[in-house]
Order: sequence, then C-alpha cells, then structure tokens
Amino acid sequence: MEFTRKFTDKLSVEQVKIELLNTAYGNGHTFLAQLDPRTLFIWYTFFGIVPWFIHQESILIGMFIFMVITTITAKVSPLIIFILCLGLLGQGGYMLIVAMFFGGDWSILLPLLVLTLKLSVISLASISVFCSMTPEKLSNGLLKIGVPGQVSFSIAYGYRMLPTLIEEYHHVFQSFRLRGKAPNKHGFLYIRSIIYFGKIAVLSFYPLLLSTSKRARTTVEALETKGSFYGFNHPQVKKLKLIDMKFGRKDIYFLIGSCFYVILLFTI
Amino acid sequence: MVKIRERYKLTQAQKMMVFILSMSLYGLSNMITELIPEARLGPLEFSVEYFAFIPLTLCILFHPLYAAIGASLGEIIFGELMLGQFGGFGELEKFIAFSLAMYVAGTFVRDPKNKRQVGIAAMLGVIIHQAISSMVDILKVWVGVEELEAVPGLAESVVVIEGFAFLNDVLFSGILFALLPTMYLVPRLYGKIEPLLGMKPRNTKDRYHLGEIIGPRLVVLGIFLAGFAFLFEFLSESGFNVEWEAEVGDIFIWISMGVAFCIALITVIFMNKRKQTLKEEKRIS
Repeated sequence: MEFTRKFTDKLSVEQVKIELLNTAYGNGHTFLAQLDPRTLFIWYTFFGIVPWFIHQESILIGMFIFMVITTITAKVSPLIIFILCLGLLGQGGYMLIVAMFFGGDWSILLPLLVLTLKLSVISLASISVFCSMTPEKLSNGLLKIGVPGQVSFSIAYGYRMLPTLIEEYHHVFQSFRLRGKAPNKHGFLYIRSIIYFGKIAVLSFYPLLLSTSKRARTTVEALETKGSFYGFNHPQVKKLKLIDMKFGRKDIYFLIGSCFYVILLFTI
Repeated sequence: MVKIRERYKLTQAQKMMVFILSMSLYGLSNMITELIPEARLGPLEFSVEYFAFIPLTLCILFHPLYAAIGASLGEIIFGELMLGQFGGFGELEKFIAFSLAMYVAGTFVRDPKNKRQVGIAAMLGVIIHQAISSMVDILKVWVGVEELEAVPGLAESVVVIEGFAFLNDVLFSGILFALLPTMYLVPRLYGKIEPLLGMKPRNTKDRYHLGEIIGPRLVVLGIFLAGFAFLFEFLSESGFNVEWEAEVGDIFIWISMGVAFCIALITVIFMNKRKQTLKEEKRIS
C-alpha cells in the first residue's frame, strides 16, 4: 500500500494528459510511421493470426526476431514493453505452477514456452503497428477499409475530449472528498480507506453522467449544423477526405521484404 | 403497434447522443480502472476489472444497442488505443462479447424502478461477458499448444485458472462494481437524465419487440456453440495428425484459419444485418 501511495503521488492529472499525448503523437518520424495505414493493416493481418497455427519452434523464433526488430524501429515506449513482458511471464509462470499442482512435470515447460513465444509475436506485432500510427492516420485508414465514419469520428472525439473529462472527474472527486469525512483509522490492510475511496470513485460518476449527457447533446447538435451525419458515409466526401492516401515505394518494399522473410522461414 | 414502438423512434441525432455519452463515460472509467493497482492474495485476485455499472445503467435507461456499442468502442479507444495497448484482433472478440452482454442485460429490464429486475440484469450482463471471455481464453491455449492432451496437467490447469478467474470477477467486480452501483444509480437517474438528451423517459409498460429479445440471445448461444464446435473439431483433428510434416500440416493450417475466419465473419455479418433491419423497422414505423 505504501508503494501505491507513492505511485499515486507521482501520478498527477497533468502528467497523465502529457503521457497520453506522447503515446499518440510521440513517434511520427519512424520508418513504420511513414507507411500507408493499409500496408500496416495487411502486415498485421498476417502476423496477428498466422502464429496461432504454427507449431514449429524455428519459424516462431524467426518471426519473433523480426518482431523485435520492427518494435525497436518503431521506438515503442519502454514502459509498454515492460508491462507486456510482465503480463506474459506472469501468466506463463502461473500456469506452470498450477499445472505442477495437477501432476505435471518439467516436460510442460516447453509447450508453455512455445505458447508464450506465440503470444509475444502477436502482441509485438500489434504494438509496433498501432503505436506508430497517429490517431488521424489510424482513423483515415479505418475509414478507407470501410469502417463507418462514426468510428473515426469517435477516435478524434476521444482524443479531444478525454483531457477535459479527466479534469472534470478529478474536480468532482476532490469535491466529494472535501465535503465528506475520511475514516479516522485506515483499518486492517487499509480496508476502510479503500472502501471509502472506492465508494467516492463510483459516486463521482453520478454528477458526471448528467453533465456528460448535456455535453453529448451539445456536440451532436453542433455536428448536425455542420452536416456531419451526411458526410460520415457519403462516398464523395470520403473520397475527398482520403485523397492523399497512396501506396508508395516504401510500402511495396516493406511488404515484399516481409513476404520474402516469411517464405524463407518456412523453407528452412 | 405504433404506440408500443414509440419509444424506439429515436432520431439519428439521439442515437448518436446515446452513443457518444456511453462511449466517453465508459472510456473514462476504463482509464481510471487501468490506473488502479490490483492486489493479489495467492490465486485470489482483488482487482477492479471494470466499472460495468456505467454501460449497464445506460443500457437500461436508453436504447441498449447504441449504449452497448458505444461503451465497447469507448473501451477500445480510451482504454487501449490511447494507452498504447491496442490488441488488434483480440479487441474484436472483446468488442463483440461486451456489446452482446450489455445489450442482453439492457433488454432484460422492463421497469427501471424495479430494483430486483435491475439487479438481475446487472449480474446477467457480467456473467455473460465473463463466460464468453473465459471461454475464449481457454480456446486460445487450446489452439496455441500443440497436442494439449499429451502434456500432463496443462489442460486441467487452464480450465481451473479460467474458472477461478471467472468466479473471482463475477463475485468481486460483479457485485461491488456492477450490482450495487447499478441498483443505486438507475432508479435515481430515471427521469432525470433523459430530458438532458431531449427525449422522454422510457415507458415502464412498453416491452421490447420479441425479435429484439430473441435475436441477441440467439447470437450468444450461437457463439457458445461455435466455440464448442471449433474446440471439438480441433481436438479430433489434432488426434489424427500427430506429426506436423509438409502438406498435411499446411492444409490443416488453412482449414483451421478458415474456420476461425468464417465464425468471425458470420458474427459480424449477422450483427450488421440485424442493425440494418432494426434501422429499417424504425424508419417504417
């Protein structure tokens, strides 16, 4: 719990906002970021699905090396990688312990390692692809492959509104704390404080529900006056919006290179 | 007939309002739950999985379809994309499971002032969602590990771990962060929040169209069945080709990929069609 306190002290509302913008716009100059979103989607479709059905260690290891290289070139933040590793190792270790309990032996280690390898290939692929796309690029790409306009609008809206929402939630939360009375003692394992904060965290959503619904109405009315609903799924508007999306030379090289690499892996 | 359906004659703008409201609020709550650390006590895990009460409340008070889809999209955008944890195809499964669960919970409630109905709906939503997601997790190990049966202890341990996680989430997160807050919020917000979006509160007497209730439940059942079918097919197949050589292996790869793809495609098409027919119905009525 001490650790948690230090953690929350460091974690101010401002910092969260900065961190968010960093993940969104931090790395727009890497190699993957210069590619067309469609190329990245195609690439990801392969590396997100196929590893599930491959059981040869050599191919998986080859793919893993490839993923590590792309992840490094995409300049993914170390924190995300750390969280990923922790999750993968934790899950694998936990399974190992429980399986031992059910009468398994060390022979179980190999399949588990293969499974972890697969999972890490898939997650590294998704991280390197989606971290190197800015929100605009992602929403344009989604629009191009036929996802409804509302989705790409929601992505833009999310990035725009979230800082405001966080601030508002924070205000409501603090005013609840100001008016309420914190428990005198922390209780066993801080149980009383946890219950107190949990209750406030839930109750704070009551005023927020009302104010957000007002805001949603304002937003939609503003959209209506601009004729956005007409534009969301109208083919000509889409065409005009996505006119600068083109497959470049880099895209072709990247796809061909990946293809060659995979074929090479399968033939070895 | 016209009178019964009157509540669902939402305009395009009102649907969008419900959608945006649900998206931004659930997204925000997701960001908060991501920041809350979890406590582990051996196999028991006391973590706040999600604030399910927000989509549940909105699904009960407004049109469940738009609230449910909005909430799932909010989770993906705020909780994953913005934190740099977007999982790609894994998100699709989450999206479908969560929207379905919330939608079913929303259609269950007829009278938002009746606390018993609201409570049952809240638990129903959480249970459906957790059941689907733990089944998918078990399937993942099943697909990912070759000859699972040959490895002693692994199959049991996966099922036990997932079963435990299921109970844990339903009993801990489900009661504290879905059941209690929903029962508190829904009767209080009923009649207050609707005018802010420029609509009437829902009539306690009207019922959902029969097709609307049966539809999603059928889809849930279908997904369960498809999951089981996939599992058994996989088991029987892997019993036959023990060795993974040349052509047999290759063909098998494509077969299993095809099956997975078909299931995903059918679900998506089905949901799309439903949406369209619903829309058309509304336009006609």
